[in-house]
Amino acid sequence: MLALKEKLTDRGDPLSIINNINSKSVAVKNLEKIYAGHNGKQVKAVDTVSLEIKPGEFMTLLGPSGCGKTTILRMIAGFETPTRGDIYIGSERVNSQTPDKRDTAMVFQSYALFPHLNIFENIAYGLKIKKLNKTVIKEKVEGILDLMGLNGMEGRAPNQLSGGQQQRIALARALVMEPSVLLFDEPLSNLDAKLRVYMRSEIRKIQQKIGITSIYVTHDQAEAMSMSDRVIVMNKGIVEQVGTPDEIYNKPASRFVADFIGVANILDAEVMAIAQKSITVKCMDHLFDVSTTLNLQAGDQIKIILRPEAVQIGEAGKIPVIVEESVFMGAYQDYKLVVNGQILMVIDYNPSQKTVFAVGDKAYLTINEANLHIVKG
Amino acid sequence: MSIIDRQLEEMKKVIRDPILLVTIIAVIISLIIFTLWPIYEVLVEGFLAKDGTFTLKYYQDVFRQSENMRVLGNTLLLGFVVSLFSTAIGFLFAYADAFIKIRFKRLFNVIAILPIVSPPFALAMAFIMLFGQRGFVTYSLLGIKDANIYGFAGLATVQVLAFFPTAYLVLAGLLKQIDPSYEEAARNMGASRWHIFKTVILPLVTPGIANSFLLVFIQTVADFGNAMVIGGNYTTLAAKVYLQAMGNYDIKGGTALATLLLMISVLMFVVQKYWVGGRSYVTVTGKPSRQRELINDPIISWIVGVPCALISLFILVLYILIPYGSFVNLWGIDFTPTLKHYGYVLSLGLKPILDTTYLALLSMPITGIMGMVIAFLIVRKQFIGRGMIEFTSMLSMAIPGTVIGMGYILAYNDEPLVLTGTATIIVLSFLFRNMPVGIRAGVASLQQIDPAIEEAAQDLGANSFKVFTSVTIPLISSAFFSGLVYSFVRSMTAISAVIFLVSASYNLLTVAIMSQVDVGRLGVAAAYSTVLIVIVLAVTGILKLLLGRMGIKINMQ
Ligand SMILES: Nc1ncnc2c1ncn2[C@@H]1O[C@H](COP(=O)(O)OP(=O)(O)OP(=O)(O)O)[C@@H](O)[C@H]1O
Ligand SMILES: [Mg+2]
Repeated sequence: MLALKEKLTDRGDPLSIINNINSKSVAVKNLEKIYAGHNGKQVKAVDTVSLEIKPGEFMTLLGPSGCGKTTILRMIAGFETPTRGDIYIGSERVNSQTPDKRDTAMVFQSYALFPHLNIFENIAYGLKIKKLNKTVIKEKVEGILDLMGLNGMEGRAPNQLSGGQQQRIALARALVMEPSVLLFDEPLSNLDAKLRVYMRSEIRKIQQKIGITSIYVTHDQAEAMSMSDRVIVMNKGIVEQVGTPDEIYNKPASRFVADFIGVANILDAEVMAIAQKSITVKCMDHLFDVSTTLNLQAGDQIKIILRPEAVQIGEAGKIPVIVEESVFMGAYQDYKLVVNGQILMVIDYNPSQKTVFAVGDKAYLTINEANLHIVKG
Repeated sequence: MSIIDRQLEEMKKVIRDPILLVTIIAVIISLIIFTLWPIYEVLVEGFLAKDGTFTLKYYQDVFRQSENMRVLGNTLLLGFVVSLFSTAIGFLFAYADAFIKIRFKRLFNVIAILPIVSPPFALAMAFIMLFGQRGFVTYSLLGIKDANIYGFAGLATVQVLAFFPTAYLVLAGLLKQIDPSYEEAARNMGASRWHIFKTVILPLVTPGIANSFLLVFIQTVADFGNAMVIGGNYTTLAAKVYLQAMGNYDIKGGTALATLLLMISVLMFVVQKYWVGGRSYVTVTGKPSRQRELINDPIISWIVGVPCALISLFILVLYILIPYGSFVNLWGIDFTPTLKHYGYVLSLGLKPILDTTYLALLSMPITGIMGMVIAFLIVRKQFIGRGMIEFTSMLSMAIPGTVIGMGYILAYNDEPLVLTGTATIIVLSFLFRNMPVGIRAGVASLQQIDPAIEEAAQDLGANSFKVFTSVTIPLISSAFFSGLVYSFVRSMTAISAVIFLVSASYNLLTVAIMSQVDVGRLGVAAAYSTVLIVIVLAVTGILKLLLGRMGIKINMQ
């Protein structure tokens, strides 16, 4: 692992072995997939999804289990055929192409290394099909193994490697093909927590260096947030939001997104008045001026999203609260507060330097209006 | 979405992949031509009068003639009795194998494999050598002058000995899958061993018992070799079909009987596959968490072990009699050693021996590859006709050989496809009769393999053909080669279908042996049988050795 780090930082251009990447955009238009279930019931796994992924972009498909992420990825790779809709890689519509004809390479959750071939043959598999000559193949395989810090393992069988090593072989096998699009289906889910954190930054580094279009499926938001240029949040076959990690965290487009990404207070509120730049809402029995792009009218019932760390708790402030739970978590104090009959989660960092409130105490909140985000009720 | 839409949806993937599409179409067409069409011919022939008009005469004859009704009764009674005893003995062996600590278990494997590697009527022959008119026991030891082993008792005993291994294998597989923690849980609650057996083990394997009963029934009803050799006046349907069609030159009467036989087998097959098959409580894929602590109780070991030992010993003796009989002058009368039977075999010519070996070797790779292709299609692909491929290819396992043999001569006797008398027709019959076992092995082993591995290959640029040859086949090589070996062995020892298909230009060993038995030259028949067994063992031995070098293990069961 260390070797890999050094390779990426110290050597001249360790990625020169992959010099032929022609990253392409990926677009899906009104994509729909209906599975014929076993008992005659149908499952709408993907429901009218349209997406555009720019060349070189790292795009993550994020969502709870069963929301259709894998299905979309497999349709892009060609393993599944869409019930309706179109898939474009670059400018080419690829619906009728089998996976072997598509310029994509996939890293599988189970790694899917060929158990009957050694590491060299695993990585060389696709190159041999491309009919490259032997010396070129050898050069490329050795180069990529070098890059992955796995030299000397050519002769081993996949089951003689650790999970993390197998994972990197799977990545090497895909990368060495120099595909236009790299696809990942939860590639890190079989690794232990530490290795997962390490590998996600490695994958991201390599991806940025070679600038390859990548589509990454995960249900782990930390992975999504830390690796992606943009994230697609999905739920039950539909796209809830497409945006940068910042946008999906701070400007969730729906209650679902707010709830799914991080911890959110979702508060009942009512629109009181509409002004030019902002609207006035009533929440926790207080009035706030909040800016929004939503088209609202006075009297609308809405929800306000407020992150627990975006609230200041103190002995003085605008909003009085009662402490219902107070837990010391080391880096922060975790509060559960009651405001006007609603529950509010608040996190206060660095608690040892501050007043810590106990259960039953009265406290006051200060809320910056810029931290309030409106979603439709 | 309607059902049709849904199926079209599934077809999308296939249609964009020409290699796959062509393969599927080729498989479906070949199954139609070489499995369904012959059956159709058998069914229809009996409804057509000599001038081609529709008639019910032949089918009415089947039910009108008391002789035929007697044959039907014989067949059903025999099937019932043999299945009952085979299942019971099979269970005893399986229980001993899975639960009890006894030393000679490895012998069970030999016992289970012997009926597969020897001619189908080897046991019947050996039985005659022991208990026949000149039998070693009846004549030489007891001095009975007119012992008559031919008939129900002889046939049933021989069939039980030949078919109980089927029940044993099915039940041992199931018993070994039972998680020992069930019994431990029951024992923990204070149940005695007998009580556990009654209330835990037996209910768990009841579907398996039903299953093996039906499988043995199908085998018994279809058994042609033993019925011809030792059945005597106790004629069964399988023998009667042949005697009627080839002996009395009454093809139409023969087909009507064949239809009856077919109905019985297919009914049993459908019941077995769709009713009993889906009822197992024991998961087939999951391995039990731990090894079972084997029962070491001397009383139980004796009660179960002694009968198993005696039966095993008896079977071994029967098989040894065959090579032994080929080296004595005149069985039952003069036991001086001689090579004269082999001399006679030589004088008749090596042609049947060479032909059989050649045709079996020829059909071997075709059967193996086609079996794996079909297994691959069944497990990995979704398409219209998949169910048909699965059902038809498995069905041919349940169709009695005599019916298929009959169907082949009817179907390929005139235009558009004339094959009678050729080597092709024999190879085809080997192919379609022996494929199902390979398919089953292939399906089982494919189900163990992560489909993502094949997807990865395709993703890296391999087309369907390349994926199959470079990934699928190597991954299921053990099933593939087991299928190869099995198909060779079965081709060498087949008789029921091919007896209709042999001709002056292509005769087969099994048929030659049977005609020697027929004329009472037991020594010559034994010599032929010995040659056959030697070839089978030699070829499988060589294959095993070669494959062992490549690190591939084959499994014949
Ligand atoms: N081959 C299939 N046949 C029928 N239904 C399927 C099939 N594959 C997936 N589904 C269904 O489609 C829906 C979406 O599945 P998909 O695998 O895309 O989910 P996912 O978002 O990748 O979930 P996870 O995070 O658990 O991997 C699920 O309801 C699933 O049960
Ligand atoms: Mg998934």
